[in-house]
Amino acid sequence: MNKRIPHALLAVGAAALLAAACTPAPKQNKVADPGTQVSGTVELWHFFTEREANAIESVVKDFQSTHPNITVTIKSGQDDSKVTQAIGAGKGPDVGLSYSTDIVGKFCSSGAWVDLAPYIKRDNVDLNKLNATTRQYTEFDGKRCAMPFLADAYGLFYNKDLFAKAGIAGPPKTLDELTADAKKLTVKNPDGSLKTVGFLPLFDFYENAAAHLAPAVGAKWLTDDGKSAIAADPAWKTLLTWQKSLVDWYGYDKLQKFRAGLGDEFSGDNAFQKGQVAINVDAEYRLAFIKDQAPKLKYGVAPLPTTDPARYGAGYVTGNILGISKNAKNPEAAWELIKYLTTDDKAIVKLANLIKNIPTTTASLADPALQVDPDFKAFLDIFANPNSSTTPPSASGPAYQETFGTFLTSWQAGKVKDLDAGLADADKKVNNVMTLGG
Amino acid sequence: MTATLDAPPAVLQGAAPDRRIRRQHRLAWIAKHSIAIVLAIMFVTPVVYLVLISLMTSDQALTSNYWPDTWHFDNYVRVFLVTPLPRYLLNTVIYAVLATAFMLLSSVPAAYALAKLRFRGRNVLFLTIICVMMLPPQVVTVPLYLMWARYGLTGTIWPLILPMLFGDAFSIFLLRQFLLTIPNDYLDAARVDGCGEWRTLLRVVVPMARPGIAAAALFQFFYAWNDYYGPLLYTGENENSWTLSLGLASFHSVHHVDWNLVTAATVLTMAPIIIVFFFAQRAFVQGVTLTGVKG
Amino acid sequence: MVAGSIPQKKPLRVRLRHHATVLSFLAPALIGIAVFFLYPLVSAVYFSLTKFDLLSVPQWVGLDNYKRMGEDPYLLQSVRNTLWMVVVFVPVRIVSAIGLSMLLTQLRRGASAFRTIFYLPALAPPVAATIAFVYLLKPGTGPVNTFLAHIGIQGPLWFNSPAWAKPSLVLLGLWAIGDIMVIFLAAVLGVPATLYEAASLDGANAWHRFRYVTIPTIQPVILFATVTGVIYTLQYFDQAAVAGSIASGQATVGAGISQNFGFPEGATFTYPLWLYTVGFRYNALGYANAMAVALFVVAFAVTVFLLRRSKAFSGEES
Repeated sequence: MNKRIPHALLAVGAAALLAAACTPAPKQNKVADPGTQVSGTVELWHFFTEREANAIESVVKDFQSTHPNITVTIKSGQDDSKVTQAIGAGKGPDVGLSYSTDIVGKFCSSGAWVDLAPYIKRDNVDLNKLNATTRQYTEFDGKRCAMPFLADAYGLFYNKDLFAKAGIAGPPKTLDELTADAKKLTVKNPDGSLKTVGFLPLFDFYENAAAHLAPAVGAKWLTDDGKSAIAADPAWKTLLTWQKSLVDWYGYDKLQKFRAGLGDEFSGDNAFQKGQVAINVDAEYRLAFIKDQAPKLKYGVAPLPTTDPARYGAGYVTGNILGISKNAKNPEAAWELIKYLTTDDKAIVKLANLIKNIPTTTASLADPALQVDPDFKAFLDIFANPNSSTTPPSASGPAYQETFGTFLTSWQAGKVKDLDAGLADADKKVNNVMTLGG
Repeated sequence: MTATLDAPPAVLQGAAPDRRIRRQHRLAWIAKHSIAIVLAIMFVTPVVYLVLISLMTSDQALTSNYWPDTWHFDNYVRVFLVTPLPRYLLNTVIYAVLATAFMLLSSVPAAYALAKLRFRGRNVLFLTIICVMMLPPQVVTVPLYLMWARYGLTGTIWPLILPMLFGDAFSIFLLRQFLLTIPNDYLDAARVDGCGEWRTLLRVVVPMARPGIAAAALFQFFYAWNDYYGPLLYTGENENSWTLSLGLASFHSVHHVDWNLVTAATVLTMAPIIIVFFFAQRAFVQGVTLTGVKG
Repeated sequence: MVAGSIPQKKPLRVRLRHHATVLSFLAPALIGIAVFFLYPLVSAVYFSLTKFDLLSVPQWVGLDNYKRMGEDPYLLQSVRNTLWMVVVFVPVRIVSAIGLSMLLTQLRRGASAFRTIFYLPALAPPVAATIAFVYLLKPGTGPVNTFLAHIGIQGPLWFNSPAWAKPSLVLLGLWAIGDIMVIFLAAVLGVPATLYEAASLDGANAWHRFRYVTIPTIQPVILFATVTGVIYTLQYFDQAAVAGSIASGQATVGAGISQNFGFPEGATFTYPLWLYTVGFRYNALGYANAMAVALFVVAFAVTVFLLRRSKAFSGEES
C-alpha cells in the first residue's frame, strides 16, 4: 500500500479538525443605547412539550402583540445537550430555556450564554425584585448569564388518613419527630415484609436526593472558593447519621425489597398516591398529579422538618432558566424577550397559572390574579423563606451532586464503616470530579 | 438439492420406514415444536404487553395493572393528532431505503474485494474496516457534527444517508464473511469463461450470496428504521426532518410521559418493518442452491 | 489466465489493470474510511490531549486525561461492569442464536411465523422494548415473579438487585436476539446439503453432523458475531442506562437517564455510560475522548487476537 497516502490523509484530517475545533472567540456584544428601537427575529429553544409548550406559546404571543417589531420562532423538545452542541457548532438558538440549572456554571464561564449585566444596567432592571435563591442559581463566579423562569419548591407531603389512623396530629417539624412518625405509620405484613412505610429513607428513592434534604439540616455543598464542603460541614454528618438509623430500623434489604415493588414516580402507581408511603418529599408539581391521578387522596403539605426550629419553613428551591446565546443574531431582541418573560409580572403570573410552577418575582407572588389554594400557598411560603437554599452552579454541572450520590448509595447499604473517613474520601472524589469542568 | 426453510433437508430427517424409528421421529417433532411454542410465548409476551399499554389510559400505563381497565383504541387516532406521523414516516422510509440501497452499492463490492480478490494490504484494510466500529459513537459524533454543520446539512437526514455511499463497516464485515463461504471454484469457472471481476461479482456471486446480502440489507434497513440517536443529533432542531423514532419522544414532557401514546406510536412504527421482514424472509428461502463441486 | 494463483511476474499492463479493478471495488469504502473513521480518530486523539467543553477553544493538557484515568475510581468500576458484560453476554448470545437457528431449520409447520416471532423483539425500538421488559420483571407486582410465586419459587429482584441486574440485562439481550439469529440462520442455511449427505454416508448422526459439518462451515460467521459482539458490548450503554432509570422508578426523568447512574448500587454502570456522563453532562469532552481512545485500543487488541486465533477459520484458503 502506498505509504504516502496515510500521511496525506492525516494532514488533511488534522487541518480539517483544527478548522472545526477552533470555535470563534465570543463576540463582543455591543449593547445598544437606551431607547433604541428593537426589531428582528428571535429563536427560542426549550424542552417542554404539549400542555406546557402551549402555555409558553400563548405568553410569547402576548409578547409579540406588545412588541410588534419582534418575531419569535419557537422550537420545542430541545434539551441541554442539543443546545450545547448547537452553540458549539456556531449555530443554535438566540434564547435558550433550560429545565435545570446544571448548565449555568459552564455556560457562564465559557461565555456560551452572554453576560447580561450590561443589559440589566442599561435598562435599570431591579434584580432585587427576583427571589434571592433564584438569583443564586442564575449566576456563576460573579457573572450573571441567566435569568430565572418559574421555579420549583420542595416540601413534605403527608397522608392525612394514615396520620389519623395512627393518631398523629400534624406533620413532623423536626427530624426526631419524622423518625417517630415514620415508625408509628409503618405497617408490616404477617411474614415481616413491609406493607406500608411511614417514610422511605433511601436516598435514591423518588425525590429523596441529598440536595432536596439538605435544607433540613442546613448543609452546605461548596465552600466560597468552589471546593467541596461535605466533610467540613457537620450538618451532613447529622443528616447521614439520622438517615442511616432509620434505614437500619427498617432493615436495608427489607426496604429495597419494598421499594422494588413500588410504582414509577410519575405514573398512576406513585407510592405516595397509593398510600404505600405515608410521608414523602416532593415539589409543587405533585399537586397537579394528585388532582389528576388520585383525587380522593386526603393529603397535607408542610415544609421539611428541620434540626433547628429557627430554620423551619425552608426548603430546596430550583427552577428553569433563560439565557442569550453568544451566537445570537439579534441579542437586543433576545434580551427584550427574556426581560418580558422574567420581569413582567403579568406575564409571569399567566405562566405560573398555566404551568402550575412558582412565579419568581416578589410582586407576582403577591398578585391576586395568581391562582393559589392553601396547598400551593404552602409551597409559595417555602419558596419565599429566606433560609431556603439551592444547589450552587458549578462548571462541571451536576458532577458534585452525583458523585456524592454514589457515596450515599454505599453509605445506606452499610458499606461505609467509618463515616468521617468516608466523608473525607467523598470530599476528595468530589473535588477531583469537579476539576473536569475546569 | 436445495435446503429450504419449510422442509428440513432429507439428510437431517434420516430415512427409514421402520415403525420404531417413525415413533422416535414423532416424539422429536413434538419436542421441537413444544420448545418452539414455549419460546415463542416468551418472546412475544413483552410485545403483547406493549400493545396492551397502547390501549390503556395514560394513568394506567406503567402501573401494576397489566390488563387495560378501559380500552382506548382511540389512542391510535390521538397519536396522529399530536404529531405529524405521516411526515415522520416519509422521512423514515426515505432514510431506511436510501441508506440500505447506498450501503449495498458501496459495501458489496468492497466485501467482495476483501473476500475474493488478492492484493497487497488486504489484511490491513480488513482490520482497518473493523476498526471503524471501535470508536464509540458519542465521540465520533462531535467532529462529524461540526463537519456537517459547516456544510449546512444539519437539520436534514442527509448526514445519516450520505455516509452509506462510502461503505458501512459492519455490513462490509458481514458480507465478507458470507462471501468467504462461497467456494472459489465457481469464481474460477466464471473467470475461465472470460468474465471480468465485476461480471463475476454480479452474475455469479451475488445470486449465490443472496441470503447473506438479504441479511445485511435487512440489518441496515431495521437499524435505520429504529435509529434514534442519529436523527436526534442531526435533525433534532428541525421537526420537518424528524423520523418516527424521534416522534416517539414527542410524548415526553419534563415530568410526564404519555406512555400509552408512546407505545401506540411504537406499535405503528413496528408494524411496517414486521411486514417487511415477513416478506423478506423469502429471500432466505429462495436461494441456497449449492449443487456439488465441479466435475 | 486465472487471477493470482500463478506465482510469476505478470506484465505491467495486467498488473495495473488488476490494481485498477481492485481500486474500483474499494474506492467508496476507502473514502468512507478516511472521512468517517480516520478524521474522527485523529480528532479523538487530539481532543484526548486537551481540556475541551465544546463551547470554548480546546486547551492543550498533554497526557493529563490519561493520568486521570489511572486514578479514577468510577472508571475502574465501570470497566469491571463492562468486562463482565463482554465475557458473559457475547458467548451466551452466540450460543443461543446458533441454537435457535438450528431449531428453526427443524420446524416445518409455521416456520415463517416462528421466525417472525423470534425476530419481533429485535424490531422494537430499544427504549420501548427495555421498558416493557423491565416492567414484566418488576419484583413486587410483575407477572414473572407472580407466576414464579404460583409455582413456589421466590423470584429475585431482577433489575432492582445488584446481583441480578446484569444477568437481567443478559436476559434482555437474549430476548432481543433476533438480530444475530437472522445472520446465523442465513449461515446455517448456506451449508451445502451435499456435505450433510457425505457425512451421513459416513455414518454420522445428527449431533456429529452439527459438530463436524455445520459448525466448521459457519466459522466465518461465528468469527464475525464474536468480533462485532465484543466491539458492541464494549460500547453497551442504552439498555443499561434506561433499565437502571426505570428500575429506580424514574422512567420519565430528563432524557431517560436518572441521576443515580448505574442503579442499583452501580451494577449497571458501564464504561460508555461514564464516558457519556463525563463528556456530555460534566462538560469534560477531553477526558471523554481519552476514554474513547482507550476503549478503541482495547477493542483493537481483542480483535487482532481473535482474528489471529481463527486464521484457520477465516476461510483464507478454502
